[in-house]
This record gives sequence, C-alpha cells and structure tokens, in this order.
Amino acid sequence: MASIKLEHVYADFPVYGSQVSFRKVLFNKAIGGLLSRADDRSKRVTVRALSDVTLEVNHGDQLGIIGHNGAGKSTLLRLLAGIYEPSQGSITIEGGVSPLFNTSPGLDLDDTGYENIVTCGLFLGMSRAEIAAKTPDIEAFAELGEYMSLPVRTYSTGMLVRLGFAIATAIDPGILLLDEGLGAGDARFANRVRKRIEALIGRSSIMILAAHSDSMIEQMCNRAILLNHGKVIADGKPKDVIARYAEMNREAEAAPPPPPAEDVSAKDLEDLVGAAAKG
Amino acid sequence: MTPEYGVAIADIVNGTRNWDMWGRLGWREVKRRYRRTVVGPFWTTLSLAIFVVVLGVVWSRLWNQDPKAYLPYLTSGMLTWVMFSTFCTEGSAAFFAAEGLIKQLRVSYTLLAISVVWRNLIVFFHNLAIYVLICLYAGLPASWSLLLAVPGLAVICLNGVWIVLFLGMACARYRDLQQLVTSILQVSMFITPIFWAPDQLKGRAVMLVDYNPLFHIVDIVRAPMLGKAPSTWTWAVVAAMTVAGWGATLYVFSRFRRRIPYWL
Repeated sequence: MASIKLEHVYADFPVYGSQVSFRKVLFNKAIGGLLSRADDRSKRVTVRALSDVTLEVNHGDQLGIIGHNGAGKSTLLRLLAGIYEPSQGSITIEGGVSPLFNTSPGLDLDDTGYENIVTCGLFLGMSRAEIAAKTPDIEAFAELGEYMSLPVRTYSTGMLVRLGFAIATAIDPGILLLDEGLGAGDARFANRVRKRIEALIGRSSIMILAAHSDSMIEQMCNRAILLNHGKVIADGKPKDVIARYAEMNREAEAAPPPPPAEDVSAKDLEDLVGAAAKG
Repeated sequence: MTPEYGVAIADIVNGTRNWDMWGRLGWREVKRRYRRTVVGPFWTTLSLAIFVVVLGVVWSRLWNQDPKAYLPYLTSGMLTWVMFSTFCTEGSAAFFAAEGLIKQLRVSYTLLAISVVWRNLIVFFHNLAIYVLICLYAGLPASWSLLLAVPGLAVICLNGVWIVLFLGMACARYRDLQQLVTSILQVSMFITPIFWAPDQLKGRAVMLVDYNPLFHIVDIVRAPMLGKAPSTWTWAVVAAMTVAGWGATLYVFSRFRRRIPYWL
C-alpha cells in the first residue's frame, strides 16, 4: 500500500551569485575571522520555495497541486521524487516513485528508437525484461514504423515527442508524479494521449499532478491542494480548492502586490538583481 | 548538516550494483566517437601514438637514451597518465554535465562516477594498441609480471571513482576549481616521472618521486607493463591513497550529497 507523509517540510534554495565562489571563500579564510561568521550567515541569500508543508497522501488519492508560477509546485514534486531533499522536516514515502517531468530521460539523439527505449526505460526504473515486454506496446503507440530503427536525430519534433511519451507512459508506477505539459503532438494524437494518461493513472496507486489548468485538475483528480508562497493554504475537493484559487486571484487583482518573502530582504534583492545583470 | 552515512553508502552500493546502467552510459560515449568516423575512438589513440612516437624519438636522442628502452617506458607511462588525468578532468565536470538527469530523476551519483571511470577504461584498452606495437618494435618480451597490471588497473579505477565523486561535488559547488584542476594536472605531468626516469634525479629532488602519489599511481601499472613488479613502497602509497581518498570522500559525500542538486 503506497503512502506519502510530509511533516513540516521546508525547502530553501541557496543563491550563488557569480561573486560567491572559491575566491571569496579563500579570501574569507585569509582574513581569518575578522568578518564574523554569524554576520556572514545572515548575508547568505536563500529563496524559500516551501515553508512548513505538512501533508498526507494515501492509496487511491489523485492529488492535484494548484498555484501560481513560483508557488512551489515543481519544488514539491521534486521533493517527492527524491531529487531535492528538504532543508528541514521529514518525508516518508512507501512505494516506488515514478517521476515523469521530462518524457525522455537520457535520450540520445544518435541512438535508434529501439536503443532509446532501453536507455530511457532503464532510467525510468524498468528492468530489461519489462522493457522487452513493453516494447511492442511502445512501438504501437508511437506509430513510427520503420523509423524505429533509425537514429532519433532524423525524427521530426512531433515524432520525438510521441516516442518519449510512449516510453514514459509505459511504466507501471506505484506513485506517479506528473508535471503539466507532459504530452503534446497533433490533434489526433491528443485524444490518444488523454486515454493513455488515464490508463497510466489507473495503474498507479497514488497520482500527483501539478497544473495551472483548472479543468485538468477537475477531470483527473479526486483531491487538490492550493499552494501560495510555498505554503499549503487549502486542501480538499478539487471543486472547492479551485474556487478558493479563483477567489485568491480576484483578491490579488484588487489588492496591491504582496511584499517579498521574509527571507529575502530588499538589500538581498538588490544584490540578486546586480548579480543577475553581471552574470 | 549532519553526515548521513547510511544514505551515502546506499548510493554507492546501489550505483555499483547497477552495472547494466553504468556499462551502457560508459559505452554510449565510446560508441558516439565511432559514429560517422572511419576509425572512431582510435582517433584519440592515433593522436596519442603520434605524440608518443615523435616525442620518444626526439627525446631519446636528446638524453642519449636507447629508443628501444625509452619508447616502451614513455608509452606505458603516458597511457596510464592519460587515463588517470582524464578521471580528474572529466570528474570535475561529471555532475554539471549530468544536470539534466540529476534534476529529472533520482539517480545514484556513484553510478554517474563509475560510468566516467568505465568509459576511460575502455579508451585505455583502445590505447593499448600503441603499447603492443611499440613492444613489437622494441622486442620487449611478454612476461608473467604483465599480469600484475590487472590489479594495478583495478586499484586505479577504484581511486578513479572517489576522485570523480569528490571533484564532481567540489566543482559543482565551486566552479573555479575545474580550471585549477586542469592547470595542476598540466604541471604534474612534467614533474612526475613520465617523460623522464626516476633515477635521473639526484639529491633532495628524489622527493618528487618518493612522496609523489601520482608517480606511484602511474608506476603501479607501468612497472608491470615493462616487465617489472611495482615496489612495495608503491603499493603502500597507493593503498594509503585509496583509503584516505575514500575516507574523505565518504565524509564529504554523506554530508553534502543532498545539496548537490541545489548547487547545479
């Protein structure tokens, strides 16, 4: 039985400007503690992407994550995938996690379609035997015919997307993590994509989807959370959470823009902008 | 940050066991060099061969040495040195070259490190062609001590893995280090006995040989290739380097492994 438990999870991203490098560390060491350590710490710029997230997801949950750009949706997915680890708090996951953020991890343009099925399949955690068993299904879905034996360099963008998608959705996920934007292609393909994603979700025990689009969440999820500035501010039925999101957007339009997050002072922001301009 | 030895060791064990994956990643790079070229990875071999032969002929004259003794010495030293120094240079770039993967999936860092080492071991075997030809020219007889090169290679590769892990992490955090590694290696090639023999040094300069771990790393494979057994001192230094290197890497890796994706 798959389950996910997050307890007071924080994620802080250190910002390394072009000037924060080996040279600076060396010089700091050379000056020998004249600059106090505490002072140095407080100057370190971090961006808090998630703040005190506590969440429990159980078998059968199809959870949608809603929020603005930068609300922490992708960071949360990446924490669940085990790519980032929380700077504070704990995450307990039971069951295998299959992240599908990029449809073709490890794709090599010089390899043929068949070779890439193996490489991507291995990266997605399939065994050789599973890959061999799934290959006919992937071939059928990608509809590439003879092209399967050619280097993928010769494919059109649409063909490449179809192949990547076919491989990625062939897995048998325990916990499935989806980022929106997965799956594209021509109109005829779009319908098949939807069916295939639905089948994939059906095979999974838990599905978590991050999306902007309300309709996607409403169709595909049975639970939703709303993230704002890295905090979970609503959790419940997709309909209610979407309504809350719409309300929040109306308020935001009426009210002046919110102040920057507490961890980034105005001075830090100036430094950041300066570093970005230099870099 | 507290060290998480369990997580780090799990990464190392899982990465090592997944030989299917690192084998595939390592070969893929080699295969890429074969594509649409006539001689493939042998281009690296060919340019190394030209370097060794030209330099060998000129320098053996310069130092009044018998080319039939100097050429095998230079060749076996260079082959080993090229492999070892590529561990260091490719190791420095290992993690940020794999940024796409690291940020999309949970990958074992050890797996990435082993694939770098494996790829360069394959290149080393390509380069062995030069050694065979030079041996034929010099009439160097094959001897049983050649077999001692196998454990030597194994130990170099074992060191290669920690070097890639360590430098991969250090260079992901401090980008300038990559340039530093390159320039240190450049100088080291000349102060380590590769172009010249250790017995050409007199007096206190002998320290450049005795206490230079790079000399021992090279000699542990070079000596068997020349039909000699590596000295006990060489084995001791390399063993110490393996233990110390892995110890330090394990400490750093278990402390900072979780920060790597944040650094990229």
